[in-house]
Amino acid sequence: MDFYYSLAQIIGFHALLGLSAYVVLLTGQVSLAQAGFFAIGAYVAAMFTVLAGWHLVPAMLAAGLAAAAMACIVGFPALRVRGLMLVIATLAFGEAVRLFFFNFDYQVAKGEVKVGPLGGEGFRQIRWFPEHGWTGLDVMLFVWTVVALVAGALWWLDRSRFGAVLRAVGEDELAAQSVGLNLTAVKVTAMTIGGFIAGLGGAIYAHYTTHIEHSNFGVLLATFAIAYPILGGLRNVLGTIVAVIFVQGFLVEGLRFLGDWRNLLFGALIVLAMNLRPNGLIDAATARRLARLFGREARRA
Amino acid sequence: MGFVDYVQAIIDGLLFGTTYSLIGIGFTLVFGVMHKINMSYAAASLAGAYCGLIGPQMLGLPPWSVFPLSIVAAGVIGYVIYLTCFRFIPLASPLATLMSTVGMLLLVDEIVVHATAGMPQNYPAIYDGDPIELGPFILRADLVGVFLICVVAMAVLLALLYRTRLGMATRAVAQQPVAAQLCGMRLQAVNGLTFVVAGLLGGVAGAMIGASVGMLSPLIAGTITVKGLIVTVIGGLGSIPGAIVAGLLVGAAENLFQAVRNVTERDIYVMLLLFAFLVLRPGGLFAAARGRD
Amino acid sequence: MLEVRGLVKHFGGVRAVDGIDFAIRPGEVFGLIGPNGSGKSTTVNLVCGLYAPTQGQILFQGQDIARVATHKRLSLGLARTFQNIRLFTNLTVWENLWMAENAPAHRAEAGFLKRWVGGRGNARERISQALEFSGLAHRADDLAGSLAFGEQRRLELARALAARPRLLLLDEPAAGMNAEEIAQLDERIRMLQQQGYTILLIEHHMELVMAVTDRICVLNFGRKIAEGTPAQVQADPAVRDAYLGTGA
Repeated sequence: MDFYYSLAQIIGFHALLGLSAYVVLLTGQVSLAQAGFFAIGAYVAAMFTVLAGWHLVPAMLAAGLAAAAMACIVGFPALRVRGLMLVIATLAFGEAVRLFFFNFDYQVAKGEVKVGPLGGEGFRQIRWFPEHGWTGLDVMLFVWTVVALVAGALWWLDRSRFGAVLRAVGEDELAAQSVGLNLTAVKVTAMTIGGFIAGLGGAIYAHYTTHIEHSNFGVLLATFAIAYPILGGLRNVLGTIVAVIFVQGFLVEGLRFLGDWRNLLFGALIVLAMNLRPNGLIDAATARRLARLFGREARRA
Repeated sequence: MGFVDYVQAIIDGLLFGTTYSLIGIGFTLVFGVMHKINMSYAAASLAGAYCGLIGPQMLGLPPWSVFPLSIVAAGVIGYVIYLTCFRFIPLASPLATLMSTVGMLLLVDEIVVHATAGMPQNYPAIYDGDPIELGPFILRADLVGVFLICVVAMAVLLALLYRTRLGMATRAVAQQPVAAQLCGMRLQAVNGLTFVVAGLLGGVAGAMIGASVGMLSPLIAGTITVKGLIVTVIGGLGSIPGAIVAGLLVGAAENLFQAVRNVTERDIYVMLLLFAFLVLRPGGLFAAARGRD
Repeated sequence: MLEVRGLVKHFGGVRAVDGIDFAIRPGEVFGLIGPNGSGKSTTVNLVCGLYAPTQGQILFQGQDIARVATHKRLSLGLARTFQNIRLFTNLTVWENLWMAENAPAHRAEAGFLKRWVGGRGNARERISQALEFSGLAHRADDLAGSLAFGEQRRLELARALAARPRLLLLDEPAAGMNAEEIAQLDERIRMLQQQGYTILLIEHHMELVMAVTDRICVLNFGRKIAEGTPAQVQADPAVRDAYLGTGA
């Protein structure tokens, strides 16, 4: 049973990562910086619970806010560029964050041992869950409560005028300006919201794995982040969550029997999927077919 | 560390920077004709360099055979990437080729890890003569060799682009794809050839990186990818002279950072350099005065 | 209402607009015409802020707006349509109109939160009116991209109106329309003028321009070559030369 609890937790924090990229992608920005925000969230939350002895929930909020603040700061210069230049800029930012943590030492003596991040060694002993006696089931329920809250908030946001504004900016920046939308404000807001969500995800990840190091937050993770919403389609948050379940539950766990070959298969599958379905697994045509199948939500959604 | 050491660091950086220039040119060439970024390019170039090792390690060929084999292999890989990640994917979907080449990057990386069991592989140096002394400065002979070979590769490329029919076709497709097709140029053929040419250049770069570092390891693919992209951006997307200058700049800057700080912090400053360029000169080094579109 | 003084825009070495002056009075329909490449579209893009002028002033209700950000010009009361329709094709017709709800009048009616994250409730009435006016009420929930060409043009106009502008910039609204649709457009422009809108009309279709405008400014090679009532402009020899080529 513990295996399934653990898998559900993995799917949970990857869902947060995917949702953070989803918000940003709605405005037409492809950001490879989400892994960086995720890393900031992981380190900040772990430092609060381990070094400062905070409860997990306030530490998570602090992690989300720190990542959001960073996203907001990065948002402004990054907005001067778009398209491929933005991809490269955010990729470089993500790498800069990773390298920062590669060089980041901040150890504090706690009883016999020293704890805290230690450069390339990483940050060990993030044991808030076991120290407070949480079982796998407790953790899983907690993670999915957070995912449900975030997904619910985004669902509601998607249906508000703000959601339509994000999509409008993503579709045609020129027209959006001409109807009075402030591109900078909209894009930076999306980036900030995305940063907050990624920070929450990172906080959960750090406490799930108990040991984080810089190499966890590389280009691969950044690719996963944008792959989820792209695979799931940008019609609503559910697509992203379905994509996470498909990738983490089926591709990563389901194919574990392939051993090392699984990693080879993963890259090949992405290439194949893009050749067969360049607009995502659930593109507009599929969505219409599904809608007809279920008979409702045919137009909206 | 005195002034002399810093100048020495810059000299070494400039010599090694030519490999970054080549990688930057490869990204820029593909961008020029297809307006897409091939994210797997740097990894594929290094994979070509790995393939070169098959010669001496498995076929018993002399050590120098690595270099031509690397270059040819990278050219072939370039064409394979064109076929798998570009040929059959509609260019109108902006994210599709980005994702497919990222997938290819992961695939190429994994194949290399598999084939080498993740172990670093020794790579022959291009030349092991005595260092050349220039006053207080020392030029490492192998780096000078790397520098010269990269410069020759660039010269060949420029001659190809500006002196031959193929080059003219490439530039025509880059500027006006529809008109070029109307003039009887086969778009697919030109695109495919561009990937082969970029691949050959990448093979040179990959081999020279291996030769100057002394080994290849799977860890460097990510770093080279990011640095190649940085060079491309600083030089201006699509600009070959820009990529050359930016490669030298990044090479010199990173070696200087390394001398002033240390090797683990070096790359952070390179990323910050990129951000500075994005804010101050988003169009790259040689961009014309910026329009609003 | 809108006054342009000594407006100049260079692109590299090309003088797309080379010192234009004109003034639009409140309540009038003002035409801007000229052969292809005469600088009409550049002028519109300067007025609505997509380009920054090289030189010159753009006065809107007495305020120089040449350096005001594009999105802020809308809240000053300046809305436009595009020559090559630019709708949000993956949003519904209703949502396209919802986007334009950013003018000061809307701000006064609904607070920040209500405007941005509130539901559709408080915008419903206004948007139904706009839908009625443009005859799109039955397609409110369809994606804008699925509309027929003429419907897309009407929606774009409705979206500009939803921002409650004082001055409306119509950039070649008749392009690609058939005779019947142009007749409807003619009627709609007159109706808007009666409702008190001031309109700047850029158009190639001479019959329409001559029928609906009060005054016309003619451009050629980035300069103004004539200005006056339709009758005056039609009689002007410089205008004939510009359109027919400088024959003898």
